[in-house]
Amino acid sequence: MRSRKYSPKTVAVFTSMCVLAVVMLYPFAFMINTSFKSKAQYFGAPGHSTASWGKLFDTLPVWKQLLNSTLVCAGAISIILVVATMAGFAIAKMRSKATPIFFLGIVGAMLIPLQSIIIPAYINASKLNLLDGYSGAIFLYAALGSPFATFLMTSYFRGIPDDLVEAAIVDGLSYPKVFLKIALPLAVPAVITVIVLQFIQVWDDLLVGLLFIQDPAYRTITVGLGALSAGRVTDIPVLMAGSLISAIPAVVVYLIFQRQLVNGLTAGIGK
Amino acid sequence: MAKKSSLNQQRTRVGIIFATPALLLVSAFLGIPIIQAGYFSFTEWNGIDAKWLGISAYVQEFKSPIFWRVLENNGLLLLGVPVAILFPMGIAFLLNEKVAGWKIFRSIYFLPTAISWVVIGMVSMRFFAQEGLLNELLKAFGLGFIKTDLLSSEKGALFAVAITFIWSMVGTNSIIFLTGMATLDQSLNEAARMDGAGNFRIFRSITLPQLNRFIQFSFIITVISAFTALFSLIFVMTGGGPGFGTTTLEFFIFQSAFSRGNFGTGAMLGVILFFMMAILGIGQLLLMRKKDE
Repeated sequence: MRSRKYSPKTVAVFTSMCVLAVVMLYPFAFMINTSFKSKAQYFGAPGHSTASWGKLFDTLPVWKQLLNSTLVCAGAISIILVVATMAGFAIAKMRSKATPIFFLGIVGAMLIPLQSIIIPAYINASKLNLLDGYSGAIFLYAALGSPFATFLMTSYFRGIPDDLVEAAIVDGLSYPKVFLKIALPLAVPAVITVIVLQFIQVWDDLLVGLLFIQDPAYRTITVGLGALSAGRVTDIPVLMAGSLISAIPAVVVYLIFQRQLVNGLTAGIGK
Repeated sequence: MAKKSSLNQQRTRVGIIFATPALLLVSAFLGIPIIQAGYFSFTEWNGIDAKWLGISAYVQEFKSPIFWRVLENNGLLLLGVPVAILFPMGIAFLLNEKVAGWKIFRSIYFLPTAISWVVIGMVSMRFFAQEGLLNELLKAFGLGFIKTDLLSSEKGALFAVAITFIWSMVGTNSIIFLTGMATLDQSLNEAARMDGAGNFRIFRSITLPQLNRFIQFSFIITVISAFTALFSLIFVMTGGGPGFGTTTLEFFIFQSAFSRGNFGTGAMLGVILFFMMAILGIGQLLLMRKKDE
Protein backbone atom coordinates (compact mmCIF):
# COMPACT_ATOMS: atom_id res chain seq x y z
CA MET A 1 0.00 0.00 0.00
CA ARG A 2 2.86 2.32 0.85
CA SER A 3 4.32 2.24 -2.61
CA ARG A 4 1.25 3.97 -3.97
CA LYS A 5 2.66 7.28 -2.77
CA TYR A 6 5.59 7.07 -5.16
CA SER A 7 5.16 7.59 -8.87
CA PRO A 8 7.33 5.51 -11.24
CA LYS A 9 9.17 8.69 -12.11
CA THR A 10 10.12 9.32 -8.48
CA VAL A 11 11.34 5.76 -8.14
CA ALA A 12 13.43 6.07 -11.30
CA VAL A 13 14.95 9.36 -10.17
CA PHE A 14 15.72 7.98 -6.73
CA THR A 15 17.31 4.83 -8.15
CA SER A 16 19.57 6.74 -10.54
CA MET A 17 20.65 9.04 -7.73
CA CYS A 18 21.55 6.02 -5.60
CA VAL A 19 23.62 4.51 -8.41
CA LEU A 20 25.39 7.81 -8.90
CA ALA A 21 26.03 8.10 -5.16
CA VAL A 22 27.80 4.73 -5.29
CA VAL A 23 29.96 5.96 -8.17
CA MET A 24 30.90 9.14 -6.31
CA LEU A 25 31.56 7.40 -3.01
CA TYR A 26 33.51 4.51 -4.50
CA PRO A 27 36.97 6.07 -3.95
CA PHE A 28 36.25 6.54 -0.26
CA ALA A 29 35.03 2.97 0.12
CA PHE A 30 38.06 1.73 -1.79
CA MET A 31 40.45 3.75 0.37
CA ILE A 32 38.90 2.62 3.64
CA ASN A 33 38.65 -1.01 2.63
CA THR A 34 42.14 -1.22 1.14
CA SER A 35 43.86 0.63 3.95
CA PHE A 36 42.70 -2.03 6.40
CA LYS A 37 44.42 -4.80 4.48
CA SER A 38 47.98 -6.02 4.54
CA LYS A 39 49.80 -6.28 1.23
CA ALA A 40 49.04 -10.00 1.09
CA GLN A 41 45.38 -9.38 1.89
CA TYR A 42 45.21 -6.82 -0.88
CA PHE A 43 46.42 -9.45 -3.29
CA GLY A 44 43.75 -11.93 -2.32
CA ALA A 45 44.41 -13.28 1.17
CA PRO A 46 41.24 -13.10 3.27
CA GLY A 47 40.58 -10.75 6.20
CA HIS A 48 41.53 -7.29 7.32
CA SER A 49 44.32 -5.90 9.50
CA THR A 50 45.85 -2.66 10.65
CA ALA A 51 49.32 -3.65 9.43
CA SER A 52 49.31 -1.06 6.65
CA TRP A 53 48.44 1.75 9.03
CA GLY A 54 51.43 0.81 11.16
CA LYS A 55 53.61 0.77 8.07
CA LEU A 56 52.31 4.15 6.95
CA PHE A 57 53.45 5.78 10.18
CA ASP A 58 56.87 4.12 9.75
CA THR A 59 57.27 5.27 6.13
CA LEU A 60 55.84 8.77 6.36
CA PRO A 61 56.21 11.31 9.18
CA VAL A 62 52.43 11.66 9.14
CA TRP A 63 51.98 13.90 12.20
CA LYS A 64 54.79 16.20 11.18
CA GLN A 65 53.39 16.52 7.67
CA LEU A 66 49.87 17.17 8.94
CA LEU A 67 51.35 19.92 11.10
CA ASN A 68 53.27 21.30 8.11
CA SER A 69 50.08 21.37 6.05
CA THR A 70 48.28 23.16 8.86
CA LEU A 71 51.01 25.78 9.23
CA VAL A 72 51.25 26.42 5.50
CA CYS A 73 47.45 26.77 5.27
CA ALA A 74 47.32 29.06 8.29
CA GLY A 75 50.13 31.27 6.96
CA ALA A 76 48.73 31.59 3.46
CA ILE A 77 45.15 32.13 4.61
CA SER A 78 46.16 34.82 7.13
CA ILE A 79 47.96 36.79 4.44
CA ILE A 80 45.08 36.35 2.00
CA LEU A 81 42.54 37.56 4.56
CA VAL A 82 44.47 40.70 5.47
CA VAL A 83 45.28 41.58 1.88
CA ALA A 84 41.90 40.71 0.35
CA THR A 85 39.62 42.31 2.93
CA MET A 86 41.58 45.56 2.75
CA ALA A 87 41.76 45.60 -1.03
CA GLY A 88 38.12 44.59 -1.36
CA PHE A 89 37.06 47.42 0.95
CA ALA A 90 39.22 49.87 -0.97
CA ILE A 91 37.63 48.87 -4.28
CA ALA A 92 34.08 48.86 -2.95
CA LYS A 93 34.04 51.82 -0.61
CA MET A 94 37.05 54.07 -1.22
CA ARG A 95 36.72 54.64 -4.92
CA SER A 96 39.06 56.96 -6.76
CA LYS A 97 40.28 57.32 -10.33
CA ALA A 98 42.69 54.41 -9.87
CA THR A 99 40.02 51.98 -8.66
CA PRO A 100 38.82 50.63 -12.03
CA ILE A 101 42.38 49.93 -13.18
CA PHE A 102 43.22 48.22 -9.91
CA PHE A 103 40.08 46.10 -10.08
CA LEU A 104 40.86 45.15 -13.68
CA GLY A 105 44.36 44.12 -12.58
CA ILE A 106 42.91 41.90 -9.87
CA VAL A 107 40.48 40.24 -12.28
CA GLY A 108 43.28 39.88 -14.82
CA ALA A 109 45.50 38.19 -12.23
CA MET A 110 42.76 35.59 -11.75
CA LEU A 111 43.33 34.53 -15.35
CA ILE A 112 47.05 33.81 -14.94
CA PRO A 113 47.58 30.05 -14.75
CA LEU A 114 49.99 28.87 -12.08
CA GLN A 115 52.05 27.00 -14.65
CA SER A 116 52.66 30.21 -16.61
CA ILE A 117 54.46 31.93 -13.76
CA ILE A 118 55.85 29.03 -11.83
CA ILE A 119 59.26 28.90 -13.51
CA PRO A 120 60.26 32.57 -13.01
CA ALA A 121 58.60 32.55 -9.58
CA TYR A 122 60.65 29.50 -8.65
CA ILE A 123 63.91 31.05 -9.81
CA ASN A 124 63.10 34.34 -8.01
CA ALA A 125 62.23 32.52 -4.81
CA SER A 126 65.41 30.50 -4.93
CA LYS A 127 67.47 33.69 -5.39
CA LEU A 128 65.71 35.22 -2.37
CA ASN A 129 66.30 32.06 -0.31
CA LEU A 130 62.57 31.49 0.09
CA LEU A 131 62.73 27.79 -0.69
CA ASP A 132 64.32 26.63 2.56
CA GLY A 133 61.36 26.72 4.89
CA TYR A 134 57.67 27.30 4.37
CA SER A 135 57.87 30.93 3.31
CA GLY A 136 58.16 30.56 -0.47
CA ALA A 137 55.15 28.26 -0.63
CA ILE A 138 53.14 30.43 1.76
CA PHE A 139 53.75 33.60 -0.26
CA LEU A 140 52.96 31.95 -3.57
CA TYR A 141 49.77 30.37 -2.23
CA ALA A 142 48.80 33.76 -0.80
CA ALA A 143 49.45 35.50 -4.11
CA LEU A 144 47.50 32.86 -6.02
CA GLY A 145 44.53 33.02 -3.66
CA SER A 146 44.35 36.79 -3.16
CA PRO A 147 42.84 37.87 -6.49
CA PHE A 148 39.74 35.70 -6.20
CA ALA A 149 39.46 36.44 -2.48
CA THR A 150 39.63 40.17 -3.25
CA PHE A 151 36.98 39.73 -5.92
CA LEU A 152 34.73 37.94 -3.42
CA MET A 153 35.29 40.54 -0.70
CA THR A 154 34.65 43.36 -3.16
CA SER A 155 31.27 42.00 -4.17
CA TYR A 156 30.41 41.47 -0.53
CA PHE A 157 31.43 44.97 0.57
CA ARG A 158 29.48 46.41 -2.35
CA GLY A 159 26.39 45.00 -0.69
CA ILE A 160 26.95 47.26 2.32
CA PRO A 161 25.11 50.55 1.66
CA ASP A 162 27.34 53.56 0.95
CA ASP A 163 25.11 55.63 3.27
CA LEU A 164 26.12 53.50 6.22
CA VAL A 165 29.80 54.15 5.57
CA GLU A 166 29.26 57.87 4.90
CA ALA A 167 27.16 58.33 8.03
CA ALA A 168 29.94 56.81 10.13
CA ILE A 169 32.51 59.06 8.46
CA VAL A 170 30.38 62.16 9.08
CA ASP A 171 30.13 61.03 12.72
CA GLY A 172 33.89 61.36 12.87
CA LEU A 173 35.11 57.80 12.33
CA SER A 174 38.11 57.39 10.04
CA TYR A 175 38.03 54.98 7.10
CA PRO A 176 40.28 52.40 8.83
CA LYS A 177 37.91 52.50 11.84
CA VAL A 178 34.85 52.04 9.61
CA PHE A 179 36.61 49.10 8.01
CA LEU A 180 37.48 47.42 11.32
CA LYS A 181 34.39 48.28 13.34
CA ILE A 182 31.59 48.20 10.77
CA ALA A 183 32.54 46.56 7.50
CA LEU A 184 34.58 43.58 8.73
CA PRO A 185 32.03 42.36 11.29
CA LEU A 186 29.36 42.50 8.58
CA ALA A 187 31.59 40.54 6.20
CA VAL A 188 32.13 37.49 8.40
CA PRO A 189 30.21 35.15 6.05
CA ALA A 190 32.42 36.16 3.11
CA VAL A 191 35.53 35.79 5.26
CA ILE A 192 34.49 32.24 6.17
CA THR A 193 33.92 31.46 2.49
CA VAL A 194 37.43 32.65 1.68
CA ILE A 195 38.92 30.59 4.50
CA VAL A 196 37.15 27.40 3.49
CA LEU A 197 37.88 27.80 -0.21
CA GLN A 198 41.56 28.53 0.37
CA PHE A 199 41.98 25.84 2.98
CA ILE A 200 40.85 23.16 0.57
CA GLN A 201 42.88 24.67 -2.27
CA VAL A 202 46.14 24.85 -0.31
CA TRP A 203 45.68 21.62 1.63
CA ASP A 204 45.12 19.68 -1.61
CA ASP A 205 47.86 21.28 -3.70
CA LEU A 206 50.83 19.33 -4.97
CA LEU A 207 52.71 21.44 -7.52
CA VAL A 208 53.63 24.49 -5.43
CA GLY A 209 54.53 22.38 -2.41
CA LEU A 210 56.62 20.06 -4.52
CA LEU A 211 58.76 22.87 -5.91
CA PHE A 212 58.70 25.57 -3.25
CA ILE A 213 59.37 23.41 -0.20
CA GLN A 214 62.77 21.91 -0.82
CA ASP A 215 63.50 20.51 2.63
CA PRO A 216 61.56 17.22 3.06
CA ALA A 217 61.18 18.04 6.77
CA TYR A 218 58.80 20.89 5.81
CA ARG A 219 56.72 18.90 3.33
CA THR A 220 52.95 19.01 3.51
CA ILE A 221 50.96 15.78 3.68
CA THR A 222 49.74 16.04 0.07
CA VAL A 223 53.27 16.54 -1.20
CA GLY A 224 54.57 13.73 1.01
CA LEU A 225 51.95 11.46 -0.43
CA GLY A 226 52.59 12.56 -4.01
CA ALA A 227 56.32 11.94 -3.57
CA LEU A 228 55.58 8.55 -2.06
CA SER A 229 53.37 7.48 -4.94
CA ALA A 230 55.86 8.69 -7.52
CA GLY A 231 58.68 6.86 -5.73
CA ARG A 232 59.23 3.16 -5.42
CA VAL A 233 56.51 2.51 -2.88
CA THR A 234 54.13 0.09 -4.52
CA ASP A 235 52.48 -0.91 -1.29
CA ILE A 236 48.98 0.11 -2.26
CA PRO A 237 47.31 -0.37 1.14
CA VAL A 238 49.91 1.96 2.68
CA LEU A 239 49.27 4.55 -0.02
CA MET A 240 45.52 4.26 0.60
CA ALA A 241 45.95 4.73 4.34
CA GLY A 242 47.99 7.84 3.56
CA SER A 243 45.39 9.09 1.08
CA LEU A 244 42.66 8.64 3.60
CA ILE A 245 44.47 10.51 6.35
CA SER A 246 45.36 13.36 4.00
CA ALA A 247 41.76 13.62 2.81
CA ILE A 248 40.10 13.60 6.23
CA PRO A 249 40.78 17.23 7.30
CA ALA A 250 39.53 18.67 4.01
CA VAL A 251 36.48 16.40 4.04
CA VAL A 252 35.63 17.44 7.60
CA VAL A 253 35.95 21.11 6.67
CA TYR A 254 33.77 20.43 3.64
CA LEU A 255 31.08 18.70 5.69
CA ILE A 256 30.90 21.58 8.16
CA PHE A 257 31.16 24.48 5.71
CA GLN A 258 29.50 23.06 2.62
CA ARG A 259 27.27 26.08 2.13
CA GLN A 260 30.16 28.56 2.25
CA LEU A 261 32.06 26.48 -0.28
CA VAL A 262 29.11 26.48 -2.65
CA ASN A 263 28.68 30.24 -2.16
CA GLY A 264 32.32 30.80 -3.05
CA LEU A 265 32.06 28.63 -6.11
CA THR A 266 28.96 30.28 -7.50
CA ALA A 267 30.11 33.81 -6.63
CA GLY A 268 31.88 33.98 -9.99
CA ILE A 269 28.66 33.64 -11.97
CA GLY A 270 27.70 37.23 -11.25
CA LYS A 271 24.30 38.77 -11.51
CA MET B 1 32.98 72.38 1.13
CA ALA B 2 36.56 72.35 2.37
CA LYS B 3 35.60 69.58 4.75
CA LYS B 4 34.09 67.57 1.94
CA SER B 5 37.16 67.75 -0.26
CA SER B 6 39.46 66.85 2.64
CA LEU B 7 37.21 63.84 3.18
CA ASN B 8 37.62 62.92 -0.45
CA GLN B 9 41.36 63.24 -0.06
CA GLN B 10 41.31 61.05 3.01
CA ARG B 11 39.26 58.46 1.15
CA THR B 12 41.64 58.37 -1.81
CA ARG B 13 44.71 58.25 0.43
CA VAL B 14 43.40 55.48 2.69
CA GLY B 15 42.10 53.63 -0.36
CA ILE B 16 45.55 53.58 -1.87
CA ILE B 17 47.08 52.40 1.40
CA PHE B 18 44.48 49.65 1.68
CA ALA B 19 45.08 48.45 -1.86
CA THR B 20 48.87 48.44 -1.57
CA PRO B 21 49.45 45.07 0.14
CA ALA B 22 47.39 43.26 -2.48
CA LEU B 23 49.13 45.16 -5.24
CA LEU B 24 52.59 44.32 -3.89
CA LEU B 25 51.84 40.64 -3.27
CA VAL B 26 50.18 40.02 -6.61
CA SER B 27 52.81 42.01 -8.52
CA ALA B 28 55.73 40.24 -6.83
CA PHE B 29 54.48 36.70 -7.27
CA LEU B 30 52.25 36.87 -10.35
CA GLY B 31 52.78 40.15 -12.21
CA ILE B 32 56.56 40.29 -12.38
CA PRO B 33 56.92 36.53 -13.07
CA ILE B 34 54.51 36.67 -16.01
CA ILE B 35 56.57 39.51 -17.52
CA GLN B 36 59.75 37.56 -16.84
CA ALA B 37 58.16 34.51 -18.47
CA GLY B 38 57.49 36.66 -21.53
CA TYR B 39 61.12 37.75 -21.69
CA PHE B 40 62.68 34.35 -20.97
CA SER B 41 60.39 32.65 -23.49
CA PHE B 42 62.66 34.18 -26.15
CA THR B 43 65.81 32.74 -24.59
CA GLU B 44 67.65 29.55 -23.94
CA TRP B 45 67.73 29.54 -20.15
CA ASN B 46 69.02 27.09 -17.60
CA GLY B 47 67.81 29.06 -14.61
CA ILE B 48 71.05 31.04 -14.26
CA ASP B 49 72.29 32.15 -17.66
CA ALA B 50 69.97 33.12 -20.46
CA LYS B 51 70.96 33.35 -24.13
CA TRP B 52 68.72 35.52 -26.32
CA LEU B 53 67.25 33.57 -29.24
CA GLY B 54 64.48 35.94 -30.24
CA ILE B 55 61.56 34.78 -32.28
CA SER B 56 63.47 31.72 -33.45
CA ALA B 57 62.87 30.18 -30.02
CA TYR B 58 59.18 30.05 -30.87
CA VAL B 59 59.78 28.98 -34.48
CA GLN B 60 61.88 26.07 -33.29
CA GLU B 61 59.23 24.95 -30.83
CA PHE B 62 56.48 25.17 -33.43
CA LYS B 63 58.52 22.85 -35.65
CA SER B 64 58.80 20.26 -32.92
CA PRO B 65 56.44 17.31 -33.39
CA ILE B 66 56.37 16.75 -29.61
CA PHE B 67 54.86 20.21 -29.10
CA TRP B 68 51.99 19.36 -31.45
CA ARG B 69 51.62 15.94 -29.87
CA VAL B 70 51.15 17.69 -26.51
CA LEU B 71 48.63 20.16 -27.93
CA GLU B 72 46.77 17.26 -29.48
CA ASN B 73 46.38 15.82 -25.97
CA ASN B 74 44.89 19.12 -24.83
CA GLY B 75 42.57 19.04 -27.82
CA LEU B 76 41.47 15.50 -27.02
CA LEU B 77 40.80 16.50 -23.41
CA LEU B 78 38.51 19.25 -24.75
CA LEU B 79 36.35 16.49 -26.24
CA GLY B 80 35.53 15.52 -22.66
CA VAL B 81 34.26 19.01 -21.84
CA PRO B 82 30.73 18.63 -23.29
CA VAL B 83 30.31 15.41 -21.32
CA ALA B 84 31.62 17.09 -18.19
CA ILE B 85 28.91 19.75 -18.66
CA LEU B 86 25.90 17.80 -19.98
CA PHE B 87 26.14 14.87 -17.59
CA PRO B 88 26.10 17.11 -14.49
CA MET B 89 23.29 19.12 -16.07
CA GLY B 90 21.26 15.91 -16.18
CA ILE B 91 22.16 15.22 -12.57
CA ALA B 92 21.04 18.70 -11.59
CA PHE B 93 17.67 18.03 -13.21
CA LEU B 94 17.40 14.84 -11.17
CA LEU B 95 18.32 16.65 -7.96
CA ASN B 96 15.88 19.41 -8.82
CA GLU B 97 13.04 16.87 -8.65
CA LYS B 98 13.71 17.15 -4.90
CA VAL B 99 12.82 13.55 -4.11
CA ALA B 100 13.44 12.27 -0.59
CA GLY B 101 17.03 12.71 0.51
CA TRP B 102 18.06 14.98 -2.37
CA LYS B 103 20.12 17.19 -0.08
CA ILE B 104 22.17 14.21 1.06
CA PHE B 105 22.72 13.19 -2.54
CA ARG B 106 23.81 16.72 -3.36
CA SER B 107 26.40 16.59 -0.58
CA ILE B 108 27.67 13.21 -1.76
CA TYR B 109 28.08 14.35 -5.36
CA PHE B 110 29.93 17.47 -4.30
CA LEU B 111 32.17 15.66 -1.82
CA PRO B 112 35.03 14.83 -4.26
CA THR B 113 35.57 18.60 -4.61
CA ALA B 114 37.20 18.45 -1.19
CA ILE B 115 39.79 15.78 -1.96
CA SER B 116 43.10 16.34 -3.70
CA TRP B 117 44.02 15.23 -7.20
CA VAL B 118 46.79 13.20 -5.62
CA VAL B 119 44.25 11.05 -3.80
CA ILE B 120 41.86 10.92 -6.76
CA GLY B 121 44.72 9.94 -9.05
CA MET B 122 45.88 7.13 -6.80
CA VAL B 123 42.44 5.57 -6.54
CA SER B 124 41.70 6.08 -10.21
CA MET B 125 44.94 4.36 -11.14
CA ARG B 126 43.85 1.20 -9.28
CA PHE B 127 40.41 1.43 -10.83
CA PHE B 128 41.77 1.32 -14.38
CA ALA B 129 44.56 -1.16 -13.62
CA GLN B 130 44.50 -4.64 -15.07
CA GLU B 131 43.36 -6.22 -11.81
CA GLY B 132 41.19 -3.18 -10.99
CA LEU B 133 37.47 -2.72 -10.58
CA LEU B 134 36.85 -1.76 -14.20
CA ASN B 135 37.89 -5.18 -15.44
CA GLU B 136 35.99 -6.91 -12.66
CA LEU B 137 32.87 -4.99 -13.64
CA LEU B 138 33.34 -5.90 -17.28
CA LYS B 139 33.68 -9.54 -16.26
CA ALA B 140 30.59 -9.33 -14.08
CA PHE B 141 28.59 -8.05 -17.04
CA GLY B 142 29.86 -10.91 -19.18
CA LEU B 143 32.27 -8.68 -21.07
CA GLY B 144 35.36 -10.28 -19.57
CA PHE B 145 36.88 -10.74 -23.02
CA ILE B 146 37.40 -6.96 -23.24
CA LYS B 147 39.86 -7.01 -20.34
CA THR B 148 41.46 -3.63 -20.69
CA ASP B 149 44.72 -2.22 -19.53
CA LEU B 150 43.96 1.38 -20.37
CA LEU B 151 46.94 2.93 -18.62
CA SER B 152 49.44 0.99 -20.71
CA SER B 153 48.42 2.50 -24.06
CA GLU B 154 48.81 6.16 -25.03
CA LYS B 155 45.22 6.80 -26.07
CA GLY B 156 43.86 4.53 -23.35
CA ALA B 157 45.72 6.40 -20.63
CA LEU B 158 44.45 9.74 -21.89
CA PHE B 159 40.95 8.31 -21.95
CA ALA B 160 41.35 7.17 -18.33
CA VAL B 161 42.57 10.64 -17.34
CA ALA B 162 39.61 12.21 -19.15
CA ILE B 163 37.11 9.92 -17.40
CA THR B 164 38.64 10.74 -14.03
CA PHE B 165 38.47 14.43 -14.89
CA ILE B 166 34.81 14.19 -15.88
CA TRP B 167 34.06 12.30 -12.68
CA SER B 168 35.70 15.00 -10.60
CA MET B 169 33.76 17.80 -12.33
CA VAL B 170 30.40 16.20 -11.52
CA GLY B 171 30.08 17.95 -8.16
CA THR B 172 31.11 21.42 -9.25
CA ASN B 173 29.04 21.48 -12.42
CA SER B 174 25.90 19.98 -10.90
CA ILE B 175 26.00 22.60 -8.17
CA ILE B 176 26.34 25.34 -10.77
CA PHE B 177 23.30 24.06 -12.68
CA LEU B 178 21.32 23.47 -9.53
CA THR B 179 21.94 27.10 -8.60
CA GLY B 180 20.79 28.03 -12.09
CA MET B 181 17.62 25.99 -11.84
CA ALA B 182 16.67 27.76 -8.65
CA THR B 183 16.48 30.97 -10.69
CA LEU B 184 14.14 29.54 -13.35
CA ASP B 185 10.87 31.34 -13.80
CA GLN B 186 8.21 28.63 -13.45
CA SER B 187 5.41 30.85 -14.71
CA LEU B 188 7.03 30.86 -18.16
CA ASN B 189 6.76 27.06 -18.29
CA GLU B 190 3.09 27.18 -17.37
CA ALA B 191 2.36 29.86 -19.94
CA ALA B 192 4.11 27.79 -22.62
CA ARG B 193 2.19 24.69 -21.60
CA MET B 194 -1.05 26.63 -21.96
CA ASP B 195 0.03 27.47 -25.47
CA GLY B 196 0.47 23.76 -26.12
CA ALA B 197 4.24 23.40 -25.94
CA GLY B 198 5.62 19.93 -25.12
CA ASN B 199 8.28 19.07 -22.59
CA PHE B 200 11.14 19.08 -25.09
CA ARG B 201 10.04 22.36 -26.61
CA ILE B 202 9.81 23.95 -23.17
CA PHE B 203 13.29 22.70 -22.30
CA ARG B 204 14.82 23.96 -25.54
CA SER B 205 13.09 27.31 -25.86
CA ILE B 206 12.53 28.32 -22.26
CA THR B 207 14.74 26.43 -19.83
CA LEU B 208 17.98 26.42 -21.83
CA PRO B 209 18.03 30.16 -22.63
CA GLN B 210 17.49 30.93 -18.96
CA LEU B 211 20.39 28.66 -18.05
CA ASN B 212 22.68 30.22 -20.63
CA ARG B 213 24.74 32.19 -18.12
CA PHE B 214 25.30 29.07 -16.04
CA ILE B 215 26.25 26.95 -19.04
CA GLN B 216 28.85 29.57 -19.99
CA PHE B 217 30.23 29.66 -16.48
CA SER B 218 30.47 25.92 -16.23
CA PHE B 219 32.11 25.80 -19.67
CA ILE B 220 34.79 28.27 -18.56
CA ILE B 221 35.43 26.49 -15.27
CA THR B 222 35.62 23.12 -17.02
CA VAL B 223 38.03 24.24 -19.74
CA ILE B 224 40.24 26.06 -17.24
CA SER B 225 40.32 22.93 -15.09
CA ALA B 226 41.08 20.68 -18.05
CA PHE B 227 44.01 22.87 -19.08
CA THR B 228 45.44 24.04 -15.77
CA ALA B 229 44.24 21.85 -12.90
CA LEU B 230 45.25 18.36 -13.93
CA PHE B 231 48.98 18.50 -13.17
CA SER B 232 48.76 16.52 -9.93
CA LEU B 233 46.37 13.98 -11.41
CA ILE B 234 48.71 13.30 -14.33
CA PHE B 235 51.78 13.36 -12.07
CA VAL B 236 50.33 10.64 -9.87
CA MET B 237 48.34 8.62 -12.38
CA THR B 238 50.55 8.38 -15.45
CA GLY B 239 53.57 10.65 -15.08
CA GLY B 240 52.67 12.04 -18.50
CA GLY B 241 53.08 8.66 -20.19
CA PRO B 242 53.12 6.20 -21.66
CA GLY B 243 55.35 8.06 -24.09
CA PHE B 244 53.76 11.50 -24.41
CA GLY B 245 50.30 9.93 -24.18
CA THR B 246 49.06 12.03 -21.27
CA THR B 247 51.48 14.95 -21.41
CA THR B 248 49.28 18.01 -21.65
CA LEU B 249 50.64 21.52 -22.03
CA GLU B 250 50.68 22.23 -18.28
CA PHE B 251 52.52 18.98 -17.59
CA PHE B 252 54.93 19.63 -20.44
CA ILE B 253 55.85 22.97 -18.82
CA PHE B 254 56.86 21.17 -15.65
CA GLN B 255 58.75 18.47 -17.55
CA SER B 256 60.62 20.90 -19.78
CA ALA B 257 61.81 22.99 -16.89
CA PHE B 258 62.21 20.67 -13.95
CA SER B 259 63.03 17.33 -15.59
CA ARG B 260 65.05 18.55 -18.56
CA GLY B 261 66.34 21.90 -17.31
CA ASN B 262 65.00 23.84 -20.32
CA PHE B 263 63.65 26.78 -18.33
CA GLY B 264 63.36 28.93 -21.45
CA THR B 265 61.16 26.40 -23.23
CA GLY B 266 59.12 25.96 -20.06
CA ALA B 267 58.61 29.72 -19.83
CA MET B 268 57.54 29.83 -23.49
CA LEU B 269 55.02 27.03 -23.04
CA GLY B 270 53.72 28.90 -19.99
CA VAL B 271 53.24 32.03 -22.11
CA ILE B 272 51.34 30.00 -24.71
CA LEU B 273 49.10 28.54 -22.01
CA PHE B 274 48.56 32.03 -20.59
CA PHE B 275 47.41 33.38 -23.95
CA MET B 276 45.05 30.46 -24.44
CA MET B 277 43.44 31.13 -21.07
CA ALA B 278 43.42 34.90 -21.60
CA ILE B 279 41.62 34.53 -24.94
CA LEU B 280 39.09 32.27 -23.28
CA GLY B 281 38.57 34.72 -20.40
CA ILE B 282 38.32 37.81 -22.60
CA GLY B 283 35.97 36.00 -24.97
CA GLN B 284 33.75 35.19 -22.03
CA LEU B 285 33.79 38.80 -20.81
CA LEU B 286 32.89 40.14 -24.26
CA LEU B 287 30.06 37.62 -24.56
CA MET B 288 28.67 38.74 -21.20
CA ARG B 289 28.99 42.42 -22.12
CA LYS B 290 27.07 41.83 -25.32
CA LYS B 291 24.26 40.19 -23.37
CA ASP B 292 24.07 43.09 -20.94
CA GLU B 293 23.55 45.66 -23.68
